[in-house]
Amino acid sequence: MGSKFEPKIHVFYCVNAFDQGVFSTHDSKNAARIQSVKMPCSSTIKDIFMLKAFECSADGVMVVGCPAGKCKRVDGNVRAAKRVAWVQKLLDEIGMSGKRLVYTASGETDAALTLLLKGLVELGPNPVKPIAQANPE
Amino acid sequence: MIVAKQKPIAELKEMLRPYQKVLILGCGTCVKTCFAGGEDEAATLSVALRLAFGQEGKSIKTEELTVERQCEDAFIQEAAQAVTRNEAVLSLACGAGVQAMARRFGKAVLLPGVNTTFIGVLEKPGLFTEECSGCGDCELDTFGGICPVTRCSKRLMNGPCGGSKNGKCEVSPDIDCAWQLIIDRLTALGQLENLKRYIPAKDWRPSLAGGPRRLLREDHVI
Repeated sequence: MGSKFEPKIHVFYCVNAFDQGVFSTHDSKNAARIQSVKMPCSSTIKDIFMLKAFECSADGVMVVGCPAGKCKRVDGNVRAAKRVAWVQKLLDEIGMSGKRLVYTASGETDAALTLLLKGLVELGPNPVKPIAQANPE
Repeated sequence: MIVAKQKPIAELKEMLRPYQKVLILGCGTCVKTCFAGGEDEAATLSVALRLAFGQEGKSIKTEELTVERQCEDAFIQEAAQAVTRNEAVLSLACGAGVQAMARRFGKAVLLPGVNTTFIGVLEKPGLFTEECSGCGDCELDTFGGICPVTRCSKRLMNGPCGGSKNGKCEVSPDIDCAWQLIIDRLTALGQLENLKRYIPAKDWRPSLAGGPRRLLREDHVI
């Protein structure tokens, strides 16, 4: 009992948003327990990916897109942000708090991650135990 | 298309509480188009419900399947085995689909996952609007293809009420004045004379009288 809570964060990031196409964070404090998933465009994020991340025991999820006006696919980052907002509301309905999920643009990743981690310390770990029944399909 | 909206998670949870194994059955036609009950929505809802119950420590097993149209027997037959191996079916189809399922699978528990709302169109990406009330006596030829029964908030048949402002209905500024639209369209078509025809009070018997409607085509009855 009393072990320090280290949030587990799943990061879905657009490969075009980072140099070399690899998610990076410059603040070493934010680097712990991050699992990242690359996407060809942030718009390929789907509601189910974000929810599945929580079902796979993520405490928080971050979606990273290109800065405003810089999406190679025109509006991909706009769509991604809207989809994140939709799932945030769904998480509130589920009772898990939409604050566990954030969207950010590359370049603001460190600040967003710091804020997310701070929020997760207040919210606590993912209240849902890892599900034994993961629909294999 | 029929437009529907998924029920709130809290309501779905209470409906599903007695069951351990649930089939979430999507429909690949109208509700898919309005993002209420297609394959993607069935998959998302499946996870959302597992998370919602998981917080209570309750484990619920969900299976997902989507058929082309739940209102047609030929398609819903495909769901037979999935229906049998689950305790309840949460149908994401419109009311017609849920009832077609109940008719086909008499011993299955059928639960509605969406609220069926209206017959409408996709007016622009993300916006679905009501266009038809199914009144059973279409007069769109008179009104240039714009229905005053559905799109006029007051269902006026003989011209505007006078309450509109800048083409918007006095009931809500989000609603276009249907009569403004009718007049504009008939003017563009050169058919404004149509409005000189007196339209008598709507006869609602084709839609609101005599119980649930039926349409029988004898030429298709074997």
